[in-house]
Amino acid sequence: MGDSDRHNLVSINRRAALLGSLGAGVFGVLSSRLYYLQILKAEDYRALSDDNRFNFNMTIPSRGRILDRYGNDLAINSQNFSLVLIPERVKDIEATLLKLKQVLSLSTSNITRIKKNINKHASFVPVLIKENLDWGTFSRLNFKTPDFPGVIPQVGLGRSYPNDGLFSHTIGYVGSPSARDLLSDKDPLLKQPSFKIGKTGIESSADKLLRGSSGKLKVEVNASGRIVREFPDGNDAPKNGQDIWLTLDSELQKKAAELFGNDSGGIVVMDVLTGEIRTMLSMPTFNGNLFVSGITQKQMDELNNDERRPQYNKVLAGGYPPASTFKMVVMLAALEGGIINTKDKIICRQKVNLGNRTFHCWKRGGHGPVNMRDALKNSCDVYFYELSQKVGIENIASMGRKLGFGEKFNIGLNGLKSGIMPDPKWKKLKLGANWQLGDTLNASIGQGFVLSTPLQMAVMVARLANGKASLTPNLIIGQNLSKFKSLDIDPSHIAFVQKSMLAVCEEPGGTAYKKYGLELGKLQIAGKTGTGQVRGISEQERRSKLRKDEDLPWKLRDHNLFVGYAPFKNPRFAVSCLVEHGGTGSKRAIEISRSILKTALLRDGISAGKEIKSSIATNV
Amino acid sequence: MYNLLLDYKKTTSKFSEINWLLVVLIFGLGLVGVAMIYAATGGDWLSGARQHFYRMIFATFFMLFIAIIDLRLWYTISYPFYLVVLVLLISVDLMGVTVNGSKRWVDLQIVNYQLARIQPSEIMKLAIVLALSRFYHDLPRWRVSSIYGLLGAFLIIFVPMFFILRQPDLGTTLLVAATGLSIIFLAGINWRLLASFLIFSIISIPLFFIFGLQTYQRERILTFLDPTHDPSGASYHIIQSKIALGSGGFNGKGFMSGTQRQLEYVPENRTDFIFTVIGEEFGFVGSLSAIATYMVIIGICVWLSVQCKQVYSKLLILGFTITFALYVFINLAMIMGLAPVVGVPLPLISYGGTVLLTVMTGFGLILSAYINRDSKLPSSKFKN
Repeated sequence: MGDSDRHNLVSINRRAALLGSLGAGVFGVLSSRLYYLQILKAEDYRALSDDNRFNFNMTIPSRGRILDRYGNDLAINSQNFSLVLIPERVKDIEATLLKLKQVLSLSTSNITRIKKNINKHASFVPVLIKENLDWGTFSRLNFKTPDFPGVIPQVGLGRSYPNDGLFSHTIGYVGSPSARDLLSDKDPLLKQPSFKIGKTGIESSADKLLRGSSGKLKVEVNASGRIVREFPDGNDAPKNGQDIWLTLDSELQKKAAELFGNDSGGIVVMDVLTGEIRTMLSMPTFNGNLFVSGITQKQMDELNNDERRPQYNKVLAGGYPPASTFKMVVMLAALEGGIINTKDKIICRQKVNLGNRTFHCWKRGGHGPVNMRDALKNSCDVYFYELSQKVGIENIASMGRKLGFGEKFNIGLNGLKSGIMPDPKWKKLKLGANWQLGDTLNASIGQGFVLSTPLQMAVMVARLANGKASLTPNLIIGQNLSKFKSLDIDPSHIAFVQKSMLAVCEEPGGTAYKKYGLELGKLQIAGKTGTGQVRGISEQERRSKLRKDEDLPWKLRDHNLFVGYAPFKNPRFAVSCLVEHGGTGSKRAIEISRSILKTALLRDGISAGKEIKSSIATNV
Repeated sequence: MYNLLLDYKKTTSKFSEINWLLVVLIFGLGLVGVAMIYAATGGDWLSGARQHFYRMIFATFFMLFIAIIDLRLWYTISYPFYLVVLVLLISVDLMGVTVNGSKRWVDLQIVNYQLARIQPSEIMKLAIVLALSRFYHDLPRWRVSSIYGLLGAFLIIFVPMFFILRQPDLGTTLLVAATGLSIIFLAGINWRLLASFLIFSIISIPLFFIFGLQTYQRERILTFLDPTHDPSGASYHIIQSKIALGSGGFNGKGFMSGTQRQLEYVPENRTDFIFTVIGEEFGFVGSLSAIATYMVIIGICVWLSVQCKQVYSKLLILGFTITFALYVFINLAMIMGLAPVVGVPLPLISYGGTVLLTVMTGFGLILSAYINRDSKLPSSKFKN
């Protein structure tokens, strides 16, 4: 081995040592970097790691139920069978959807929506294929799912309304939040998939109570956002929605719907001591479940094209002339004003001329001389035409308001109409015209400008029956409770009106007379009929005597009205019943009202011979 | 003639010459790898850990087998081996298999029967060290800085580099270049020449960056320079890997308890990012121990080279040691956010057969060079 060689080897060693120290330097750098990351910055990185690791997922509260006064279900959360698809577990989505089409109906728009949702979310997020499946389809799918990997049948909670839509107008229904809902309501729950909010009725007006509030669930998520673990301890549990108890009696409501049959209209039964609404029904009804599960265009058209307007809440939002049921108002206004003695008679010659206008009484040939009691019993129009001129519209309107006309009651629902209790000020303001005496005459028989809702008519008769308290209706148990104001009407005048109403129902010749009409032995019913004119009656028709309401097309027939209460002594329930286009004479409305009052009394434990003692204090 | 495998006496004496500390440390790191792969796959013995274990055993035997082969055999086949690998490398370019957008593999087949799918660039890491060591062994020292010496070394390094870069495989290219340059340096090149070459390189880096790189490679370097500019994109790897390391703290979260690992925040944590599992589950203590073990292995290798009395064996040992060290440096620097993500595994610990085989073959050759430290190789003097 030569010198040069040795020199070479030494040189390599030297340079190797140099590289070696360079390497040691790099190790030093790496070690200090580790020190920096794992010792100095450990806390920061631990926090970041926890940020990665934990997520707070929203837990959804279950919606409060809506119950009747006895705890019967009106709106519940029921099992909802649905089918979801987990994209990452499906090999060929196109083919799977095609095969699914053979088992359940899937429209093209459904498929487009499914595909859109698949693309929108991470591949492990389940995408809804179809919800609200019937049990048959669902069990068939359960049987077939092994053929569809990644397609999973699920049982969730959905809103459901038993009772075949009997309560649809009152409780309303839920639906997916609209864009506008999302703007006005910042509750993050609304952004949860398949979360539903109240759209109409109690579901909407009491939505905040029913909804509850979301909880938080601490979950561990992995990098792709999949939940790996849940930490149920120490989380905010969701605050479930409150149950809402209504004053309604679902059995009574059912009875009312049976009585109505195919007729259109509305009925309200009220407790005359507490103002609680026992029955509030607008007929025909519609099935609220349709709106929850997604109504088809055909079903929607069916609802919209029904001339009986099923979706319209006639009881709260309808504006009907109270017709002859308004006569009690005129009577009381006259008595309170001391304008007439009850014994004074007015002669009815079937018509009253006022300037160039003629006002008719319904009875051909007129009633002859009638006193106040008989005027109500026979529903003589002329008596009230004459009387109203003496009383004046101001007094009539003020008494009308006292009895609830023109008032919008707070029963915890939206969409109530106030109707119209007209007076000169109102006419000037709304129509820009001066009040005419003729307007007073029209108003005196509840026609013309006077408009009211069946609820207002029920309140009127309930106040008359109670006699002392200015009752207000109440629908939700425990809500909107306020002490009733005093009615502030002379009790003797009330008693007179009550007796006159008794005559209407219990004396031969009364417009609503039927012997033992209530079919509860000695218990008597008091009330008043009304016929709401839908159209004017021409002079020619009147003369030709050919006009028979039953011969007219349904749409042109008169509305049937009846308001009343029972028992006459120690009144318990008031009723107001409207049968749209039910024809003259109010037969249908009277029948329905009698029957519903009887049922209400029986359900309340009041039967023949067992008249209630007025041990139940009024709320005054 | 050189292969004395059948000679029982010589074989046993060779076994006794093996540096067993080195073998134990290497095998120990391999076992750490088995445990870490087991943890990285969520405690699944079958999705990598078992295979790494078997590979480790096989590779260790293979390393020992190579160690006892006479060094003169390696000396003789240095050039032919290099040329064969170069041909394979070129064939990758011509008829390689594209995986994940890069052409790195070539199928060895007879007619239609596929023998193996190999990655010539990996073998080239070995071949280049062998060829360069032979080149400098044969070259008299005074010619190292001459045109002949420079041109020879240049050809040996840059021809394969060119084809590796074309695959494209930036990580391996840089690794090969750095190894090659280090050997040239060790061989005794003139300081001034090396310095001017380095200055030239620094100037040409921007040009290379613009014209020589693929878009994804440029993107990686850019995100390395500003890791916050795209947190869920390319730099996501770096950020998540730093979180994994940092959250390990001093002691770590415990074996099989790393949350970053469990929740799959660190991608590729079975292969390139396996060190994050060590860092997260065993903390500063564990990761520093691992680094120290690597350093001891490298130190032993350097010490082995010092004891060799042949240029060939010295350069061979140092060449492989540098390759190994560069793997470790680049991988760790990448994981700690000190270097761009270039896709270099952590040797011995990362899951992956090719790199393991390369590295273990390298260690086999290192041991062989050491065992044969006194054997006579043809002297360079014959050629002058």
